[in-house]
Amino acid sequence: MKASNISLDKKDLRNLAIRSALLQSSFNFERMQAGGWTWAMLPFLNKIYGGNKEKLARAMQDNLEFINTNPTTVGFLMGMVLSLEENQEDRSTINNIKVALFGPLAGIGDALFWFTFLPIIAGISASFASQGSVIGPILFFSAYVCVFLSRLLWTNLGYSLGAKAISKIRENTQAIAKAASVMGVTVIGGLISWYVNISVATTIPITEGHEISLQADFLDKIMPKLLPVAYTFLMYYLLKKKNVKPTTLILVTFIGAIALSYLGIL
Amino acid sequence: MQDITLVQGIMLSIMAMVIGFDFWIEALFIFRPIIVCTLTGLILGDLQLGLIAGGLTELAFAGLTPVGGTQPPNPVLAGVMTTVIAYTTNVEPVVAIGLALPFSFLMQYIILFYYSTFSVFMAKADKLAKNADMSGFAKLNLLTIFIVGLTYGVVVFLCTYIAQEPMKLLVENFPPALVHGLGIAGGILPAVGFGLLLKVMLKGNMIPFLIAGFLYATYNTFANLLPVALLGAALAIFVYTNDKQKVAVSTGGHVNEGI
Repeated sequence: MKASNISLDKKDLRNLAIRSALLQSSFNFERMQAGGWTWAMLPFLNKIYGGNKEKLARAMQDNLEFINTNPTTVGFLMGMVLSLEENQEDRSTINNIKVALFGPLAGIGDALFWFTFLPIIAGISASFASQGSVIGPILFFSAYVCVFLSRLLWTNLGYSLGAKAISKIRENTQAIAKAASVMGVTVIGGLISWYVNISVATTIPITEGHEISLQADFLDKIMPKLLPVAYTFLMYYLLKKKNVKPTTLILVTFIGAIALSYLGIL
Repeated sequence: MQDITLVQGIMLSIMAMVIGFDFWIEALFIFRPIIVCTLTGLILGDLQLGLIAGGLTELAFAGLTPVGGTQPPNPVLAGVMTTVIAYTTNVEPVVAIGLALPFSFLMQYIILFYYSTFSVFMAKADKLAKNADMSGFAKLNLLTIFIVGLTYGVVVFLCTYIAQEPMKLLVENFPPALVHGLGIAGGILPAVGFGLLLKVMLKGNMIPFLIAGFLYATYNTFANLLPVALLGAALAIFVYTNDKQKVAVSTGGHVNEGI
């Protein structure tokens, strides 16, 4: 007999969605999110195994294996794993599905939330805030309350799908992830223009009492914001092709800016 | 020149603890500078300063994300200290970002230290799992969250309240050229963050959209960035429907070949 009598109800799934926020509670370099992953699911594992300590111990030990995925969308994987546990699937099947999915889920989740949603919301909110308007932080916070509520969606989706339609989901998310990237990249283009400021202070004397400003009379004539976009691409190049650490670039930027402004160039 | 009072120091410290919890688990994203600066400004009684510092610092940290277990310079300490330094020393927020950076690095290294040392708890976790000890397992996870939160509280109290006098002295004796340079650097800093974002997002066929967004924002004056986001949304819908059609056409073509 494979079927289990005890199943998780709506309220359990809601609690699971909220508890999915505990994923990183004992984050460490050895197993990353494994401790929080297991802790978040613990009450539900206990319910499924109905007080059978031996089975619960095995489920806990399996779930304590290394995992590192996107914290916002992890409910999807938790719901899926619990539906498998509930159906008393083979332990190694559950493990394999978990291991196979946490990487792709991390990729999709990070692309959507860290690299698309955050720059867009941060860009719009910051443009309000830097003018001294409280709309900025309120907008930002509201947006992330919605993101938190989306955990209900991911969790229910993962639970109801079980392991059924994995390939189909992957297909669709790819098209959505690409469209999201288009939006994100467009906004980053705008952000570069808005928020990176480099202006050359050097002036060249032509005749007595007449001089041309390198910035206003030369660079801006070619294209405003030419230096900011060029510098951003230099950063991109160094990060991508030369594997320079971000911290190094921050320090170099600071030292360079101070030195050049000391010389009167910036 | 204004002082941080003891009460303000304690309030900042409590705020940092709550935000520290959220930083650790990434639940509500109140650890982002735009929120941290606003709350710090509220506690200091200068909301306007908090908002302006928040807008600037948020963008400087836009690309610095903790994805895949890496740890960027700490956004919480950057937010708190940018606002606090601008408040106590009257420097411009954009200059204060630079002065706050060492604090941000300090917290980054503390968090990295915890990432490493918390590994020792995993042996204990294994033992608890073996015995199916649910309450012990919960306590272990609560302990690690609590250690991080408490650390945030202590560090912020030390940096904001205890260290404010030496901080002021340091800023007062800064050469003006250095202050000017820090302001310039604060304006360039977002380039590093955007470079990091592009590193992840800029696959070959994405460049046209970057150019479109850049030109649209460069040659127009907007009150905020919403129009750029809407342009992005329009392009995204265009690409999505186009891709769907292509899939439909290519599968259709395949069927015809079969006939």
